[in-house]
Amino acid sequence: MTIFYFTLKRSFANLANLIFLTAAPIACIFLPAGEGWPPLAYGYAYFGIVILFVAIRLAQIMMEDRVKGILKRLSVAPVRYFSYLGQHLLAYAVILILQSAVVVLGGWIAGQELHRPWALFALYVSFSFAALAMALAWISVFRSKDAAFLFYMSLIVLAALLGGIILPLEIFPDLLRRIAVILPTFWFAEGLKSIASAQPFADNVRINATLCLYALVFLVLGSTRRMQ
Amino acid sequence: MRVLSTLRFTLLRLMRNYIVLLLLLAVPIALLTVFSVILSGMVDEAGRPYFDQTALTMVLAFQLFGGSTVMSYLNEDLFARNRERMTVAPFNRTLYAFSILLAGSAFSFLLGAAIMAYTRLVLGLVWANWGWTLYLIALMAVLSSIVCVIFVCGVKSFSTAERLSEVYGVGFVLLAGLFFPMPQHAVFEFMGSYGNPLTLSVGAVRAVEIGNWNEAWFQANIVLAAIGFLFPVMLVMGRRRLR
Amino acid sequence: MSLRTERTWLANGWRLLHFGFLTYLWIGFDDAENTFILLLLLFLLTSLRWRFELPAAFLLPDILICVLYFPYTSVSYYALALPIFEWAQRGRWPFSLLVFVALGFVPFFSGWLLWYFALALFVGFFLDRYARNLEQWKKEADEQRKARQELERVKAELLEVQRSVSKQAELTERYRIARQLHDHLGHDLTGASLALQAHAYAEDPEEAKSLLQEVKSRLERSTHSLRETVHDATPVAPIGVENLERALLHFQEIDVSLRKSGDLLSVAAYQWSLLEACLKEALTNIVRHSDATAAEVTVQVAGAIVRLLVQDDGTPRENNAQSESGSGLRSLNMRARALGGSLSTSADNGFLLVCVLPLEQEG
Repeated sequence: MTIFYFTLKRSFANLANLIFLTAAPIACIFLPAGEGWPPLAYGYAYFGIVILFVAIRLAQIMMEDRVKGILKRLSVAPVRYFSYLGQHLLAYAVILILQSAVVVLGGWIAGQELHRPWALFALYVSFSFAALAMALAWISVFRSKDAAFLFYMSLIVLAALLGGIILPLEIFPDLLRRIAVILPTFWFAEGLKSIASAQPFADNVRINATLCLYALVFLVLGSTRRMQ
Repeated sequence: MRVLSTLRFTLLRLMRNYIVLLLLLAVPIALLTVFSVILSGMVDEAGRPYFDQTALTMVLAFQLFGGSTVMSYLNEDLFARNRERMTVAPFNRTLYAFSILLAGSAFSFLLGAAIMAYTRLVLGLVWANWGWTLYLIALMAVLSSIVCVIFVCGVKSFSTAERLSEVYGVGFVLLAGLFFPMPQHAVFEFMGSYGNPLTLSVGAVRAVEIGNWNEAWFQANIVLAAIGFLFPVMLVMGRRRLR
Repeated sequence: MSLRTERTWLANGWRLLHFGFLTYLWIGFDDAENTFILLLLLFLLTSLRWRFELPAAFLLPDILICVLYFPYTSVSYYALALPIFEWAQRGRWPFSLLVFVALGFVPFFSGWLLWYFALALFVGFFLDRYARNLEQWKKEADEQRKARQELERVKAELLEVQRSVSKQAELTERYRIARQLHDHLGHDLTGASLALQAHAYAEDPEEAKSLLQEVKSRLERSTHSLRETVHDATPVAPIGVENLERALLHFQEIDVSLRKSGDLLSVAAYQWSLLEACLKEALTNIVRHSDATAAEVTVQVAGAIVRLLVQDDGTPRENNAQSESGSGLRSLNMRARALGGSLSTSADNGFLLVCVLPLEQEG
């Protein structure tokens, strides 16, 4: 499990990363609530965007390995590639789950209206998996770290806008509302809505299952290139 | 003036910087198109379409990030990769830094103008006063470039300077209350109106739309004053760093 | 592109088109979210199939999911086209036809559905046939290439063997002559020389006479032996330029004159065989393709090369296509090159053939 611990350490080694990974979730707890929109407080909707950013930031550690040639050295080490990948993914998942826990717990303590904290936590966790899988698929395509991150950032902003996190979907025209269903951010926004409006539990299960399905699809798509 | 001959290459470099083109041209255009579809037909109480305000804010907000090319080229040429080569270059390095500053600001300005043209030609948005808006875009571009040069000259590590410039851009966007409402506090209110170049320039353009030239000039001049104040600061820091 | 990548590229193109079509169908529906989950599931299965080489039976989950969604949306009927395509593409089109049975369950009749299924079946089938044909052609091309390479190799070997055999024959012959001279001639001449020396010291006239007689008989024997050796070394078969002369002798169609210059003996036997072949080919070409009445053959040995020229007095030919070397000249060219020389022809002023070969430096 050496790689797992080192990945955890590396994730916090960079000052920018450190701030991002610790300050951002805490900031999300204290953002104000809007009137009627968003369904939960602003911070809880924007935390989805934070998750997407954190995922690509963390996945860049693996990209760094590939770009710097560390992966070539690893290929002669007594570590199977599968084990390497698995430990990295585990580390990232642990970080994201911890962040989600901090946000939910912090919100509960700070008195934010969370409606159903457990359902919210589950939503965050499944969205984290989907975000991680997407980030991995993305970096398997790119060679340059900066280009990958900046391009992905543009896509995150677009996906967040079109998926209904920044603006409510009700004001969108019909066609855009249809197309929004394709984006994972739409399902995240749906999850927030369903939690806020106390929909039956099966609804949440459906949404979380769809997000996990996204994670699987992107994992399969991103596993084609062996990052070498 | 040998520095003039390098201007051509600086421009070529800017043209080939696809990532910046993506972020400062393609992304605003995409976002504006999406917004125009979403907000089509919606008007506020005064009867002005929501999209107008959104487009104006977006064009000016992206100018906050226009200093990134100036920063990275300055760093690359004078402080990092080409540093040794530049010390034997047959021209004045300060002048060269200025040429980069001018070229980068002009590039950012051109991109802003291109976005304006796109909104006019493709999205059908009618701007009230082209000249005034372009003037404000130019001010914002120059201000961002100067701020970024101050960062890169003042901080040892380039990546910290990059982060600071991002904080500058994202910070003022957040303080303008675009993403979520800011707390009701005197500091935040100031930073959301007269302390924020974004809100100042948006305010200046909107004032002209309703014909309030006094207010418009007032707000624009605050931005100009900021430029005037930061310019000698930049000179001092640059001199110190280049020595 | 290898066989598999070409096939997979086309198959992936069809799969993407299929999903694009399903998405287009889906956009018009009311229950957007649940139908999208169907699409997502199918997309996941297709991605797995794209990423890993799954056996054909893995299309059953696809069909199961589509069947489960039958009551909810009609997009699932159209989605059945993908299993049809996949099975047809793997050569198992009877299974594809089975899926057509599902048409019986469709509550609405849609001609589009039937035609879409048929299209999927056809495209998959075509892909399968195309892939098989491609494989076949590649195998054939490979075999032919191998055969040709084998042939080239044998030809090169034969030319090499010809050269070494000629060298061997020369060496053997030299050894035989040396042996003969040593055994008989040397022996006798030495004896004669000794007898003469003894004669110089002989006091008895009888002894002197018998010694002289011995010298005479020994000299006679050595002359005889020498004549024999020379006679044996004189070949009966034509050697050297006699090859060319003999070839010209049998050539009656046009007047041919032969000119020789230089030390023709320094040309090796295997080179004469090539020069003879070139001469024959040139003369055949002249007779067949030109209107010449006479030809001139020149053999020159100068410096380190031997040159054969064949020039006729025909008119220059108009169409240049004739000047392309036939297969005979091509193979002669190859042999000449294999010996380190060259062969060139020209049709500007009648027919001219020039063959140049380097001479072996006698060590």
